[in-house]
Amino acid sequence: MRRDPRSPLDLLPLKPAWFHVLLALSAEGVGHGFQIRTRVEERTEGRVRLWPATLYGTIRELTEAGLIEPLEGEADPDDDQRRRYYRITGPGQRVLRAEADRMQSLVDEVHAGEARTVG
Amino acid sequence: MTRRSSLTVRFMLWICRCWTLWLPRTFRAEYGRELLVDLEHSLREAHERGGIPPILAAGITTLWDITRRVPRERLADRRARAREATPATVHPGRRNRMSGGGREIMTNLIREVRLAVRALALRPGFTIVAVATLALGIGANVALFAVVNAILIRPLPFPESDRVVVIRHHAPGIDLPNLNNSSGTIRLYRENAQPFSALAAYTNAQRNLTGGEEPARIRLLQVTADFFDVLSVQPRLGRPFTSADTQREAAPVAILTHAGWSGRFGSDPGVTGRTVELDGVPTQIVGVLPPSFSSWAPETAALVPLYVDPAGDFGTFGLELVARLNTGAELESARGHVRDLQARLPEMFGDLTPEFLDEIGWSTSVERLRDIMTRNVRSPLWIVLGTVGFVLLIACANVANLFLVRAEARRKETAIRAALGASRRRLTAGFLSESITLGIAGGALGVLLAALGIDLLVSKGAVDLPRLSEVHLDATVLAFSGILSLLVGLAFGFLPLTRAFPGSVAGGLAGAGRRTTAGPETHRTRDALVAGQLAIAVVLLVGSGLVLRSFTRLRAVEPGFDAEGILLVGLSYGSGSDLAEASRFYRQVKDRVATLPGVEKVGVTSGFPFSEGSVNGGSFYIESRPRGEDEIPPVTMYKPVCHDYFEALRMPLLEGRTMQASDGEERRALVWVNQTFANAFLDGEAIGERIRFEEPEEGQEEQEEEDWARITGVVGDVREFGLDEEVRPMVYLPLIVGNWGYPELDRMYLTIRSDRDLAGLAPSVRRVVREVDPRVPVLASRTLEEALARSMADMAYTMVLIVVAASVALLLGAVGLFGVVSYVVGQRTREIGIRVALGARGEDVVGLFLRQALRVTAVGAVLGLGGAFALSRVMRAILFEVSATDPFTFVAAPVLLVGVALFATWLPARRATLVDPLRALDSE
Repeated sequence: MRRDPRSPLDLLPLKPAWFHVLLALSAEGVGHGFQIRTRVEERTEGRVRLWPATLYGTIRELTEAGLIEPLEGEADPDDDQRRRYYRITGPGQRVLRAEADRMQSLVDEVHAGEARTVG
Repeated sequence: MTRRSSLTVRFMLWICRCWTLWLPRTFRAEYGRELLVDLEHSLREAHERGGIPPILAAGITTLWDITRRVPRERLADRRARAREATPATVHPGRRNRMSGGGREIMTNLIREVRLAVRALALRPGFTIVAVATLALGIGANVALFAVVNAILIRPLPFPESDRVVVIRHHAPGIDLPNLNNSSGTIRLYRENAQPFSALAAYTNAQRNLTGGEEPARIRLLQVTADFFDVLSVQPRLGRPFTSADTQREAAPVAILTHAGWSGRFGSDPGVTGRTVELDGVPTQIVGVLPPSFSSWAPETAALVPLYVDPAGDFGTFGLELVARLNTGAELESARGHVRDLQARLPEMFGDLTPEFLDEIGWSTSVERLRDIMTRNVRSPLWIVLGTVGFVLLIACANVANLFLVRAEARRKETAIRAALGASRRRLTAGFLSESITLGIAGGALGVLLAALGIDLLVSKGAVDLPRLSEVHLDATVLAFSGILSLLVGLAFGFLPLTRAFPGSVAGGLAGAGRRTTAGPETHRTRDALVAGQLAIAVVLLVGSGLVLRSFTRLRAVEPGFDAEGILLVGLSYGSGSDLAEASRFYRQVKDRVATLPGVEKVGVTSGFPFSEGSVNGGSFYIESRPRGEDEIPPVTMYKPVCHDYFEALRMPLLEGRTMQASDGEERRALVWVNQTFANAFLDGEAIGERIRFEEPEEGQEEQEEEDWARITGVVGDVREFGLDEEVRPMVYLPLIVGNWGYPELDRMYLTIRSDRDLAGLAPSVRRVVREVDPRVPVLASRTLEEALARSMADMAYTMVLIVVAASVALLLGAVGLFGVVSYVVGQRTREIGIRVALGARGEDVVGLFLRQALRVTAVGAVLGLGGAFALSRVMRAILFEVSATDPFTFVAAPVLLVGVALFATWLPARRATLVDPLRALDSE
C-alpha cells in the first residue's frame, strides 16, 4: 500500500496543504487531524484553513506516500476515542527538509536580486 | 436563539454527513469518523461564535470542500483498486454495526439513491429547476407553518395553559358588543365558581416610573392575588402577591416581569426589597417573574395588586376575568354554567331586570386565553398558509409535468431494462427514488430558506403578531418539513409511473424508436395537471383580487381629517392629579409648542384609538328629551380636546362656532359633537341642546346649571377607531366642562401641524415639556400618517403575501401550459407539416392549438371559480366593504387567466407555423 519515494526530490515542489501538514507534525510533534488543522491555522494566522475533506484527503495522500503514519492504539486517554494520531516519518522529514531548502534557495535568489537593484 | 442554532448545527451536520456519501467508500471507512467529529467540532465553534449565519457559512464551505475533493478521491480510489490485485482488504478503521438484513436494505437504498443522484446529475438543468421550484414551495410552507405552529397551535408557555379561559360579556343592544367585567360580575363568578379552580381579575394600566435618570412611562398589569394560580406562574425571585397586598389600604408593592427586570433594572438579582416610585408613590419590589410570562404580555414591565370591591355593583366594566378550569371540567360545560348564572344577576343587583337584560341582548362568552390573544391574526394566518400550500401544489404539478415528459422520453430505456429482466418493482423503485431524492433535496434547501426567512421575520419584527418571539424551527417544524418533502416526492413520483411502463416490452421498444404522437391518455393526464394548476391559480387570483379591492376601498376611506404634516407627541401628567392643574399644564405646553418655528397649529387630545391613547364611552342624557324609567339611555364616546384641535386636524366645522381658548380656561359648560351624534340622537338639530353624562338625580327638578353642557358646535365625522371601523357618535369636551369631574387627563397627545420636517420637531417639543415640568415623561412621538399606515399594516401584509402567491401561481400555471403546448407542438411537427402542405394557413395552425389550450383553460377556470366560491366563507373575515363573492373579481380573475393562457399558448404555437412541410415530412 505504501511506496517509498525513490528520492524526496520527485515530490517537489510540495502542494501547500502537504507542506503545512508535514510542517505541523514536524514542528509540534504527534497530533490528530483537528490539532493539525488548528496548528496550521495558528501558524498562518488564519490564512490557510484546511476544511475536513481537504485535510483528510491530504492525510490519505501523505500516508500513501509514506511521509506520515498513523499511530495505532496510542490515543490520548483524555481525548476523544474516535480520533487517530499521526506522526511524520523519516522520509517525510527528508521531503520537508528538501522543500525547505528549495524555498530557501528561492528566498536567497530574491534577496540577491534586491541587493543588486539597491546596489 | 441558542436552541434554534443548536438545531441548525444538527441539521447542517446531517446534511454534511449525507454529502460525504459522494466520497468513495474506502475513504469514508478510513477517515469518515474523524472527519465528522472534526466537522461537528467546527460547527459547534461557529455556533459559539454567534448564531446561525456562521454555522451556515461553515456548513456551506464544508459542503463545497467535500464536493471539490470528490473527483480526486474517486480517481485515487480507482487507481488503488487497479493497483491492488487482491480485493478490498479490511481497513482498520472500518466497523460494521449492521446486521445482515438491515445491511442489505441499506445497501439497496444507497444504491438506489446513488443511481438517482447520478441520473439527476446527468440533467442539471432539469434538476436545478425542479429543486429550486420545490425549495421555494417547501420553504414558504415550512416558514409559515413555523409561524402558525408557534402562534396558533402550540399552547401558551404556562402549565396546562389550555385550561385558562377568559370570561366576557356582550350587550349589542346598547352598542356595547364587547364588555369585560365589573366588580359585580366578578362577585357573581367568585361566589359560583364550581367549574373553575381559580378566578382572577386584571386590567392594563400605565404609570410614570420616577426616581431614575429620566422619568419613564411603563406598562403595568393590575392583578388580583389569584392571578398567579390561574396562570400557574410563580415568581422566580421573591414572592407572589398575597390577598393582603390586594386590600384597599395595603402598602404598595410590585412584581417585575422578566422584560422589566432586565430592561430597567439590569437583571439585578438583589432587586427585591428595593423601592421605586410609581406615579410618585413609593412602591416596594417584592418579586420577579420568569421569562415565559413575557411572551404573553411582552410590553408589560411590572405587575401591581388590583383591589376589587367585594361588594361591588354591576355598574362599571373594565376588568378582565381569567379563570382556570378544574381538571375534568370541559369548556362547553363551563360555558353552560356561566350562561346559566346570568339568571341570578337580577337577584344580586336590584336595579337589573330580566327584561332589561333581554333588551340589551345580554350574553356571555368563555374562550381560551390563547384564542383570545390570537383572534385577530387567526384568519389571515390560516389564509396565508393555505395560499402558500396552493403554491406548493402548483409547484408539484409543474415538476410532475417535467417528470411526465421525461418518463415519456425514457420509455425506451425502461423497456430495455424490463427486457433485461428488471422487475417492475425494481423499476418503480428507480423512478420513486429519483422523485424522493428531488423532494428531499428541495426540502433541505427549503428548510434553509425557511430558517433565514424566520430569522428575518423575528429579528426585524416586520409584522405585529402576538407570540412572535416564540417562532422558531423546532422539532415539530422539522418533522413537518421532512414529511412534507417525502409527500411531495411521492406525489410527483407516482404520477409519471402510470405513464412510464409501456403495455408490452416489445411495444415500448418499437414505439420508442420512432417519433410518434403520444397517446391520448398521456395528453389527458398532462391536460388534467395543467387544468388543476390553472384552477388553483384562479382561486389565488380571486383571493388576491378580493384583498386588493378591500385594500383600495380602505385607502379610499376619508378619515375625516388631514393626516399629512401632523406629529403626535404623548405626554403623561400622571393619574389621580387635579384636573384643573393638569389642564393648565397641557395648555401651557400647547401654547409654547405653538410658538416653535414652523408650527402652524397645535391641538391636544386624549389620543386616537387606532394609534394610541384612549377615548371613553358612556350613557348620557339629553335635557330636552327626558326618558322613562325603563328606557335605556343612549351611549356615546367622548374625549377631551383643547381648542385649535379641530383646526390642527383640519376637521370641518359644520354648525355653530369653534372651540376657543377661553372655553377651557373658564370651565364653561360647553361641548362639541360630531355629525353622527347630531343625526343619531337629535335629528341633526344639535346646536343649543344640553346634555350630561351623569344620571340626573331623582326628584331634583332644578339641576345645578353647570351639570348640563350646551352643544356649541357640530364637526365633521372622523374615523377615530380605524379606517375599517364605523364612525361612532362622539362628544368633544374642552378639557374640562363646567364642574364635571371627568374624564381624567392623565395622558394626552399633542397634535402638531407643521410644514417642516416632523421628526426634527420632536426634540424641541421634548425641551419645551422639560421646561414646563421636568417630572413629566414624553412618550414616543410619531406622525399621524405613520399611525394610519400602521393601522392598515395587517391587511397590507396579508395583501402583499397573497398577491405575490397569486402572481407566482399564475406564472407557474402559464409556464406549465407553455411547456405542454411546446411539447405537443414538437410531437405534432409531422402532422402540421402535412396540414401546411395541404394548404393550411398559419392562423389555422395557431388556432388549432389555441382552441385546445382554451378548452383546458376553461376547465381550469370553472373549477377554480368553484373552489374560490367554496372558500369565500374563509375570506370574509379579512375583507373590508367587499363581498366575498364580489362579481367584478369573479369575472376579472378568469379573464386575466384566459389572457395569460392564450399568450402562453401563442408563443410556442407560433413556432408551429414556421414548420417547413418538407423538413417535417422528412423528420420520420
